[in-house]
Parts: sequence; C-alpha cells; structure tokens
Amino acid sequence: MSEPEALRAEVDTLFALVRERYGSRLNADELEAVREGIVGIVQAARALRAVRLTNADEPGQPFAAYRADS
Amino acid sequence: MTAADVVFTPVRRLAEGVRARRISPVALAETFLDRLERLGPRYNAVVTITRARALEQARRAEAEIAAGRYRGPLHGIPYGAKDLLATSGGIPTTWGAAPFKDRVFDFDATAIRKLEDAGAVLCAKLAMVELAGGMGYRQPNAAFTGPGVNPWNLEAWSGGSSSGSGSAVCAGLVPFAIGSETWGSILSPAGNCGIAGLRPTYGRVSRHGAMALCWTLDKLGPLALTADDCGLVLDAIAGPDPADPTTVDRAFRYESAAPPGRRFRFGVLRDVTDGCEDAVRENFERSLEVLKGVGTVEEVALPDLPYDDITRTILFAEAASAFEDLIESGGIAELTAPEDHYTAYARDAILAKDYLKALRLRGVMAREADRVLARLDALVAPGRSMVAAMLGGEVRSAIRGTARDVMGAVGNGAGLPAVAVPNGFGARGLPTSLQFMGRAWEENTILAAARAYQSATDWHQRHPPKA
Repeated sequence: MSEPEALRAEVDTLFALVRERYGSRLNADELEAVREGIVGIVQAARALRAVRLTNADEPGQPFAAYRADS
Repeated sequence: MTAADVVFTPVRRLAEGVRARRISPVALAETFLDRLERLGPRYNAVVTITRARALEQARRAEAEIAAGRYRGPLHGIPYGAKDLLATSGGIPTTWGAAPFKDRVFDFDATAIRKLEDAGAVLCAKLAMVELAGGMGYRQPNAAFTGPGVNPWNLEAWSGGSSSGSGSAVCAGLVPFAIGSETWGSILSPAGNCGIAGLRPTYGRVSRHGAMALCWTLDKLGPLALTADDCGLVLDAIAGPDPADPTTVDRAFRYESAAPPGRRFRFGVLRDVTDGCEDAVRENFERSLEVLKGVGTVEEVALPDLPYDDITRTILFAEAASAFEDLIESGGIAELTAPEDHYTAYARDAILAKDYLKALRLRGVMAREADRVLARLDALVAPGRSMVAAMLGGEVRSAIRGTARDVMGAVGNGAGLPAVAVPNGFGARGLPTSLQFMGRAWEENTILAAARAYQSATDWHQRHPPKA
C-alpha cells in the first residue's frame, strides 16, 4: 500500500468511528470539516511515529505516587 | 491626580506614587473603573466590572498605606483578570463561553488570592476566546462577548485567547492583567496589541481555580506595559501551591536591577523568520541590531523533530478530555464560533499510543531545547509571524497547522518561559513583537534581556491615539 493510500485508509477507519459517535449531530459540510480535522490528526500521528525512540525514553510528564500526608 | 497622570503609566511608577501617597488607590481605582465602563465595550474587552470589590480593596489599601503598612509594588494598583480565573463574591467566571455565562464559583483562584495578598485591586474580569480557544476556532468572533477589538485598529483582532487582557492593557483600561497560555494565548495578544506579555515556566504559577484546557500545557502570566512590570506581577503570583501539584517549590524573586553593563548571549533559530510577513521580518532584523548593542547574536539550530505535531497532539488530546462532558453532550453547539460546534469531534481519532508518543518526544524536545539554551541567555524571534488578523478574516494558527510557530511549539511543549515586547509596526498600523525565550526557571534572565531592549527603544511608550 502506498503512503497516500495508507493515510487514506487510516483516516477512513477513524472517520467511521467519529461519524458513528457524532454523525447524527452534523450536516454534510460539518462532517467534511471533521474529516479534514482527522486528516491533520493522522498526519501528525504519522510524523510522531516516524521518530524512533528507545525503550528508556519515558513520557516527559512523569507520574508521581500520591500520599496524602507527604 | 488626573487620568492623564496615571493612564499608560507603568506599574512601577504608579507604585512609587502610591507608596509616597501622591496617588490615592481609591482615585486610581475610580479612574480605571471609569475607563473600563466607558471604553471597555469599544474593544469587547470586559466581561464583568468588579466595582464593589475594587473599591473595597482600594479603600483597604489606602488605609493600610496611610497607617504605614505598605505591602509592595502592587499595593493599591488596579488590574484585570482573564475570565477563566475563579472569583468569589458572586462575580461570574464565564470562560468566555455562552454555556457558562452565569456560572459563579465560591472561591478565588490562587493567582487572584495572591494578588489580593499583594494589595492589588481587581477591577474587571476580562474577555477571552471561548474555552481559551480549545475547541478549534478559526475567526476572531469566538466569544459570547464578541470578537476582541484591537485598540490600534478597530477593524483588527486583539488576539487570543487572552483577548481582553491584551486590549485592556493596550487601551489603558488597567495597568496590568493576568492571562493564560496553552500555546500562544499570552504572546499573541501581547504582540497584536503592542504590549509586554510574560509566559512563565510551566509550574511557576499555580493554576488552582483556573479553567483547565490542557493540564500539561496551561500557564498563567501577566500582560503589562513593560517587561519590568511583568516581573513585578510575576513576583506576586509565583510560588508553590499544594492545590496545584504541578507547581514547583522554587523560590522566585524578581531581580529588577541587572548588573550595569551586563552583556547577553542571544541565539536565533535558523529559518525562524520563514513564513513571516515582510514587516515582521524587517522589524526583527532591526531588533537584532539593537540587541547587538547589549550582547552577541548567533545562529543556532535544533534537531529535526516534528515540534508542532508533538505539542498539537498533546493539546488536542488533553483538551478533548478536559471538555469531554461538553463535547459528548453536544453542549459545544451553544458556543459562538460555528466551527467550535464540531471541530473537537475529530479528536476522538487521536490514539492513546500516539498521545504517549507525543509525551515521550516532549522529553526529547525539552532536552534538546535545554541543550541549545544552556549556552545562551535567550533565543530571540518574532513574537508572531504576522500582525493581527482582521475581524472578518481567518485566524491563522500553528495549533491548526495554518501558520508556522516552532518557538511556540517548543516553548509551550517544553514549558519554557518567554516574554514578548513590541518592536515596531507592520501592515494596517498594527504592532509587531519580539520574543525572548529562556531556559526553564530563567524568567529573571529573559526579563533582564527584554528590559535592555526596551531601554534602547521606545515602542513600549507608544499608545493607540484614540484610546
């Protein structure tokens, strides 16, 4: 599958999910705008996925254990 | 005391007058309350004027100062707060959004409380883009109070999302204001309105009582006439807060007296002016010549990473979660901007793994930015790539990918401080700006650099002729 085809397939799949959840609220123009938004989200995700990280690269926002009296 | 004596006067000079009892805090409050009432509607700058609370605080300040109990440079000084900071006493906190226009909290946000402790006088809750712009607006008319109007050009936008905080300071309706920034919401209105705006380090200022848009990106900071005034305000609002676990236990004291003759080391990111309007680029180049008088300027580079995509993915995912109820209930259909009725639905398409990848890349981004900044006092760049949008036009935004903003993506994604100051004018008589971005916790360094720039220029002394 070419890169554009892979992008389109991912967008189609995710758009189907969003349309299933919210489609009844939206007209055709709004649905098209939501689809365009998903294209941007998928393009961003693919740019992120293209960067290789190591197992040791943790999220920049570490979780901290909680204790009320500390 | 006349209005001419105090309007467009920096906080530092007002404070000298208040301390010496040449300026009455009550008269000061009356002056700015009057301007908020008369001129606020012209700029759609105000949601609520807090007259009763202001006069009570001003009378208390006057009595305390008369009794020799001077609290510091904000004592008796009027200000406005972006209307996403909770205020008690029946004052609404609307988040700029029609669905919340009658909502009232029974407590004060920590920043409001700290300013009260400093003796400042809350005169107004200031207008903002609905939900701080988190639902994807594309036009200035995105608040139930109407589009923020720019005092320099009434056909232009004041910026967002801290729209009223920018226009109110610019038009002399308050000496300073508090805004918030997730990505651009302090630097944008400061730049559009030709004033100073400081985005503190993430964790420097408590967000307790502030509307959450993105938990790992939101910051509160001041907008004022000068960088020096921003430092005075940050000194009052900074500090750890048990109610906001993201605040860090690092003391902050504003250092307004830089060593005489201090030399700075500035960096400029390669290609940082790509995509800028001609006047923005030209004013930036002139600014660099000024900065060469107080330091060195060198070109630097960051590694090739998808900076905008990192910060955008974090912002979209967290905003979708923060407003999950409003989005899933369809309540966003009550918002003002038509595109805010549906844009956020697309964010259900962000996969958890991709959000986490953005968070992991944020760590890389933060380390790379710090590696570059460790050799510098500040990265400098245009505050915005363009002057303010026109009221009927489209807002170009890096958040939506319609403008380029590597400095904003890195600065907000990595939680770094930045201060914007005016550096000239561009198309349609609208201001342009210069930003200084520093290492985490180096607000004093970037403020010193901005002060050095402002001491060599007079852009901050120019005010809209009709304000």
